[in-house]
Amino acid sequence: MESLENAIEVRHLRKAFGTLKAVDGIDFELKQGEFLTVFGPNGAGKTTLIKILAGLTRPSSGTAKVAGFDVAEGHPEMRKEIGIISHATALYADLTPLENLIFFARMHGLKQPEDRALKVIEEVGLSPRRNDRVRTFSRGMLQRLSIARAVLHDPAILFLDEPFTGLDLHATNVLKEHLQRLHDRHRTILMTTHDISCGLEMCDKVALQVQGKFAFLENITDIDKDQFESIYFDAVRDNQFAMKIDF
Amino acid sequence: MNLYLNQIAAIVWKDFVTELKTRELLSAMFIFALLVILIFIFSINLSIVKASEVGPGILWVAFLFAGTIGLNRSFMLEKENGCLMGLMLVPADRTTIYFGKLISNLIFLSIMELFILPLFMIFFNIDLLSHLGPLLVVVFLGTLGFCALGTLLSSLSANLKTREIMLPILLYPLLIPIIIGAVRMTGQILDGTELADMMKWVGLTASFDIIYIGVSIMTIDHILEE
Repeated sequence: MESLENAIEVRHLRKAFGTLKAVDGIDFELKQGEFLTVFGPNGAGKTTLIKILAGLTRPSSGTAKVAGFDVAEGHPEMRKEIGIISHATALYADLTPLENLIFFARMHGLKQPEDRALKVIEEVGLSPRRNDRVRTFSRGMLQRLSIARAVLHDPAILFLDEPFTGLDLHATNVLKEHLQRLHDRHRTILMTTHDISCGLEMCDKVALQVQGKFAFLENITDIDKDQFESIYFDAVRDNQFAMKIDF
Repeated sequence: MNLYLNQIAAIVWKDFVTELKTRELLSAMFIFALLVILIFIFSINLSIVKASEVGPGILWVAFLFAGTIGLNRSFMLEKENGCLMGLMLVPADRTTIYFGKLISNLIFLSIMELFILPLFMIFFNIDLLSHLGPLLVVVFLGTLGFCALGTLLSSLSANLKTREIMLPILLYPLLIPIIIGAVRMTGQILDGTELADMMKWVGLTASFDIIYIGVSIMTIDHILEE
């Protein structure tokens, strides 16, 4: 990625499904190498926000630039710069990890796809299982392989949509270590999660999305981590109350 | 261009490796097509009805129904575990997804047809070997049109809960020109007509093949997007 001041730049972003406003006027920017964690209750529009930023769905209005590209234009070059980890693993269950990653490496146009696939499989500690069908994997192993898929092309920006869902303690720690490593390598990361301790541990910025809006966006250094839970519940309650009055 | 073709080849390779491991698609299509032909063969008295008159219709009904199973399965694989999302995140023109799936469907369906044709020949006591060349051309033209439109519509219906019902409802009416052309040409070939004498039908079927592929190229980006 070219040296841009902001890896992600979002202005007045809106996405509506009929009368439902999933994303309702969000503004923020993330510099290269920054880590933003977005908290929020179910249905707050966090996944929709990530889908817009990844170019999987178009915004209703507003603009979002990722790696300098307008997401609404759906430029293939933008997709070279991003990787996604979500609860859906995007892995073919009847293929092996090696076959899956060779396939995605070929789709990314990487040279020597098998070598690259073997390298990332080793990085996520799945080398002994590289020739087993993905269908036989546990949730934790699937998530590690999902990380391998997402970082296969060494993207500058990573989107993580509730990556800790369904993981046991060991798998959570493995995932956290990987995220920390990626953060140390100056990757820009935007993560949505319900896990307050995991979410606060690694990030530089924290946002709280409620009813499609950012009710709260601060640098991690400006908030009291011990008080965050009460901030979270206050913000969710206040915003939901405000929405009811609006109606 | 090289990358574009490599991406299409990668999708075809992935579908082949999956099918080699599961053997679900080809076996299901073959058994279904065989059952359709068997049901008709037991319900028709071939000493009264001319095989070359009823045979083409029965053959294409078998191909269509079995092919629909294949099309449904094709994009279900992509929806499982959000694989389609993974495909949409690669830096590829989204027509690569369409062409990759189209070629896979075309190859799988053609393999099934190559197994069904000899059985059709035996059950209906029709000599296909003397018309094999023109027949294969006609089967290819019909199958290409079916796969061209079917791949587009299966990508559309994959997002629906009622995909198994919606695909045939959307697909069959739009396929009418191709099916009429394919059935008429197959019948004429079995009656001994040369391919050169039915260029009107060949042109019609080939034109619809091209139209369906063209429409798919123009719309696939919007259809795949949620």
